[in-house]
Amino acid sequence: MDRRGFLKFAAGGTAGLVASPIIWNTLYDAVYWTQNWGWIPRLKKGAGEYLPAVSKICPSGTGFLVRTVAGTPVRTIGDRNNPVTHGSITSLAASEAELRVSPSRIKKPLLRSADGAYNAIAWAEAEKLLKAKAAAAGKSVAAISGDPTSCTNEVLSAILRAKGSKDFYFMPDEEQPALAAWTSMGGRGRLGYDIENSDCILAAAPVLESWGVVAGNRAAFNRHHPVGAPSTQKLIYAGPVQNNTAAGADLWLPIKPGTETILMLGIAHLLIKAGRNAADFEHGYTPANFKEFADLAAEYTPEKVCAATGVPAQRLEAAAAMLLDAKAPLAIAGSELGSGGGAAPVMAALSINMLLGRIGSKGGVVCLPDHANVVKGAMKYSEIMARPLVSYTQDVASGKKPAPAFLFIHAANPVYALPSDSGMKQTMQKAGFTVAVASFFSETCAEADLVLPATLGMEAFDDVQTPYGSGRITYAFARPVVKPFGEARPAGELYIALAQELDVQLGVKDMPDLLYQHAFALGTPFRQMMEKGTVFTADSAAPLPKMKFNVRSLKAALSAALPGDAPVLAPVVVLGLGTAATSVPPFAAKTVTDYQICGKYSVAQMNGATAASLGVRDGDGLRLTAENGATAEVIVSIFEGVMPSSISLVAGLGHTAFDEFSRGKGTSVVSLTGITREPGTNLPVWGTAGLKAARA
Amino acid sequence: MSAETKEFKIKWGMVIDIDKCTGCGACMVACQAENNVAPAAVGGNKLRSLNWLTVFRLSNRKPFPDHEVAYLPRPCMQCGKPSCVAVCPVIATDKREEGGIVSQIPPRCIGCRYCMASCPYHARYFNWYDPKWPGDLSQALTPDVSTRMRGVVEKCSFCHHRFMKAQELAVSQGRDPYDLPDGAYITACTEACPNGAITFGDVNNPKHKVHELIKSPYAFRLLERLGTDPQVYYMSKREWVRREGDNYLENEKTGEPLKKLG
Repeated sequence: MDRRGFLKFAAGGTAGLVASPIIWNTLYDAVYWTQNWGWIPRLKKGAGEYLPAVSKICPSGTGFLVRTVAGTPVRTIGDRNNPVTHGSITSLAASEAELRVSPSRIKKPLLRSADGAYNAIAWAEAEKLLKAKAAAAGKSVAAISGDPTSCTNEVLSAILRAKGSKDFYFMPDEEQPALAAWTSMGGRGRLGYDIENSDCILAAAPVLESWGVVAGNRAAFNRHHPVGAPSTQKLIYAGPVQNNTAAGADLWLPIKPGTETILMLGIAHLLIKAGRNAADFEHGYTPANFKEFADLAAEYTPEKVCAATGVPAQRLEAAAAMLLDAKAPLAIAGSELGSGGGAAPVMAALSINMLLGRIGSKGGVVCLPDHANVVKGAMKYSEIMARPLVSYTQDVASGKKPAPAFLFIHAANPVYALPSDSGMKQTMQKAGFTVAVASFFSETCAEADLVLPATLGMEAFDDVQTPYGSGRITYAFARPVVKPFGEARPAGELYIALAQELDVQLGVKDMPDLLYQHAFALGTPFRQMMEKGTVFTADSAAPLPKMKFNVRSLKAALSAALPGDAPVLAPVVVLGLGTAATSVPPFAAKTVTDYQICGKYSVAQMNGATAASLGVRDGDGLRLTAENGATAEVIVSIFEGVMPSSISLVAGLGHTAFDEFSRGKGTSVVSLTGITREPGTNLPVWGTAGLKAARA
Repeated sequence: MSAETKEFKIKWGMVIDIDKCTGCGACMVACQAENNVAPAAVGGNKLRSLNWLTVFRLSNRKPFPDHEVAYLPRPCMQCGKPSCVAVCPVIATDKREEGGIVSQIPPRCIGCRYCMASCPYHARYFNWYDPKWPGDLSQALTPDVSTRMRGVVEKCSFCHHRFMKAQELAVSQGRDPYDLPDGAYITACTEACPNGAITFGDVNNPKHKVHELIKSPYAFRLLERLGTDPQVYYMSKREWVRREGDNYLENEKTGEPLKKLG
């Protein structure tokens, strides 16, 4: 080819290429395929509905609308017509539609084989095995429930009673120590708080994040703090860390972990000094032992309280002044961890309420009736509450009590949620046969012989009976507004069927019948609740108890050693990290912050002075050694909203089960704590611990 | 940055009361679920995870015990003078629709990330990796917002699909789709906030609550002195929070306009 020919060929070729679609199609494909990925999710189209339901995994029992598309739930949205939560929703309940299909959801019954692996089995086989093991166990049966608001507890406890066992326990929560305090001071029924109608709340508990009916508390906070207008409620928060509740509080009382009782007595001292003597107790009597209490409170001068708790004197006085100025003040105490708290802080808080005349008053402490039982032979709610699970498991682990031949664990993850010296793991190992009925594959499931997939609140009939922290009687149905995921089955129906197989007469034939009988007992229209998802609420008409100060138990509790200047663990709970039974919901994983987790390490927040005393700086590695010998490697983050000598870690991390959103991330706070007994009440308590810290 | 503020008859705006926000994250969860933002196993790593709305913790930077904390949810500011729009070479992002929402069209985006560099609020995110919904999680995708692909930028749209739905509903009921009543269109984060910290509406409409709220002496906007004219307002009675909203020099008063150089 000569030069002219080559040029002709090149020009013709170029013109041909430009005129042809080859270049443009190649460019288009390059753009398309470099921005594409192997699997393209298709959006589901179809008829949409918004169906009222309640959450059974959120401790608030949040009322929400389940948005469905062609029958599949895609969103949960706060239900403004719900009279308990008024449209407020927690980050946990907001992620429930996604949790329903999370990778850790259990789809089929699983049976553990000899080598420890789990094999999927059919429901028929699982039920056969369940019946055989339960029947063979005789009276050596025990059960643990992580859902104290459900009527399924009645069915389970009735089965146990019929077999001759009383070993039915609730997972430790806020209500158990509170009920112990309440009854020891003369209270009857259940303890409630009228947060909605109070104009000044002193809370030694994270009321805006994890204590009580959180969604309801937030709804009340919302109404009392209108945007662009003056607020009508003051919030005083006492705790070692400026957590989410402190962010919404008018006044933060920084105190060392475990010094809530002293703080409350210090405030009581100032109230008595200002003339409050419980004589204005509006219902006609003055507690007989006021003088005895006043003598105790007199010892807790501001100087002594400030030295023991670390609270600045001015703030202590400001808190007392705010309570004195309020028309409807209310004092609340609980635990930062949500479980393992003592009764003494609640006793001290109730004493403040008595001094201020707030027992039975609007916006004060409420006396609620016990949950009504409709199932024949069921154990009383208060009876179950009065017996701590940890006492049982410790006795079984130490051999003081025989291990159960058959152990039922319902909607709970005690292996993760309880400290290592609780004896829970040993109890499961010693038990003849353990069954975990759960929605998500937890650490407890990983120790069980049989794992049964349970439905969520939006997939089955269940109920939410007045949760702890409420100021009114509330009752809501969980209704099956969507199909169960995989082969999950309603736990209530499973237990009723088991009772029928074991010839236990319950007096109810199925879950709708059980719910009907509860609605009937409360005098609320069943059909409306069932068809429209309406929620029953009523003010309590329970007679007011004659209260007395429990000075003896307070004195005993105050004799316990106080935290010194050595580092102390200060846990923080956020519902975005889920509960022990759910772990971190996939869609809430991004709410986890870089001051909670860094890579696979938990982040320890401490103030600058604490860090300086430990010789560490922001971003340094730190090795923590707890009193129980447990160790954790953490990353230091300087945050001035932490008490000196306190090291704050977020709870809800350190899972070894569940899915990639939870497993292998950070440290479990509970693993660093050990169980002690509260002097005076002998209740098992945990939640804080002395720590030794060394640079890692 | 665009030379002039784009004005519309309707201007959707948000007022976030920082004194009411306690940082629970319900808004972030609702945003993700509503807009089909893929979950991330490494959610704690903010450099690798993608959020249309992020809640930041603010500090008054004082030592204990005078330390104070606040939380600041940050969606896209839907600026009146959006610096992202001016730099986009392919008009994948624009501000021209009634309502003043800055649009983002992922299939048109070529991934140059100029918009990310120009956004002073870091409200834009790039899909460095394939979005993944492990296991059966894709069953919970909503039908309203298309999933995005690797290699494109995405951001908050003020739940624009909800605006369209509200307009469609108004038309079907014979009402004016350009005069929606207060509350007829709200974003998913507004709806989810359990504390009621977020108020949403048309800032130009006197019948909407936000119209009055933005006039509050406690209202401010982030980096207001840059002149981006954001449609997201914040409120706080605490001066240190308002100062955190912009780069004030120590001798400058809160709310003082930026002095011109020279």
